[in-house]
Amino acid sequence: MDQLKEELKKHIIEQLNLEDLQVSDIDDNSLLFSADGVGLDSIDALELIVLMEKFYGIQVTNPEEGKEAFLTINTMADYIVKKTK
Amino acid sequence: MSFITAYCHIGEDICTVNGAVFLQKKQDVTDSWFKQLYKELAIEYPKFYKMDMLAQAGFIGSELIKKVSPDLSTRYQDDEIALLFANQQSSADADIRFQDSYLEKKSPSPSLFVYTLPNIVLGEIAIRNKWFGENMFAVFPKFAPEFIIQYGSILLKTGSKAVLAGWLGVLDGKVEVSLFLIGEKGDDGIPFNKENLIKCADLRDQA
Repeated sequence: MDQLKEELKKHIIEQLNLEDLQVSDIDDNSLLFSADGVGLDSIDALELIVLMEKFYGIQVTNPEEGKEAFLTINTMADYIVKKTK
Repeated sequence: MSFITAYCHIGEDICTVNGAVFLQKKQDVTDSWFKQLYKELAIEYPKFYKMDMLAQAGFIGSELIKKVSPDLSTRYQDDEIALLFANQQSSADADIRFQDSYLEKKSPSPSLFVYTLPNIVLGEIAIRNKWFGENMFAVFPKFAPEFIIQYGSILLKTGSKAVLAGWLGVLDGKVEVSLFLIGEKGDDGIPFNKENLIKCADLRDQA
């Protein structure tokens, strides 16, 4: 699971062009879409949807499901594990 | 009469504020030059990491000016601070990266696309500070102090009480950034004229 979270952070940094961020800068529990967390916005949500399909073969079609899945790195990792079982 | 009440300069490896060294670039760290400045400013604003280099330049410059003008946001109403910026490269740095995303990586990046206009930096500064005054971004072949003086003077005569002006030279990792805070009568500072703007700007490539 830790490896998945690390990999996920690397994909997010690359996909969202956050070159100034290191994997260690993103806490597993930081809120991805909060100004106090990683500070992502609606444009980034699109990038995350693309990322999920590109790297994990998961299509996020239900907006409510995506909202919960994209809360934190932990929830994203849980979602990937659940969907790829 | 108006005055330049604060100014800063970010060059390739040194940053000065009001002529005094704020930070020298560390060569032995992996952090980018702007990230080093962000950390030195001790700001918590995660959106910084999402910005392109042009927006980061304006953001860091405005934070440096605020550092030496701590009453900037309380002294003026939110629509009394105007933003007046210019450069030579427009948003070419982000444009090239966006072009790479669809030509090389075959996947146009929305997060890069949103920075493919030079005036986005004005929005970033306005959002950060909740400043809703006049704003303008111009593109010139070289640093144009006459434009800053003429346009800045008009802004100060038509409702703005302060103008945060700057030259944001950013392209392909090269950095030549200068910001000035211009205030109206009664402020401390040096006279707002061409000679002082050139002196404060300290733009070596634009002489």
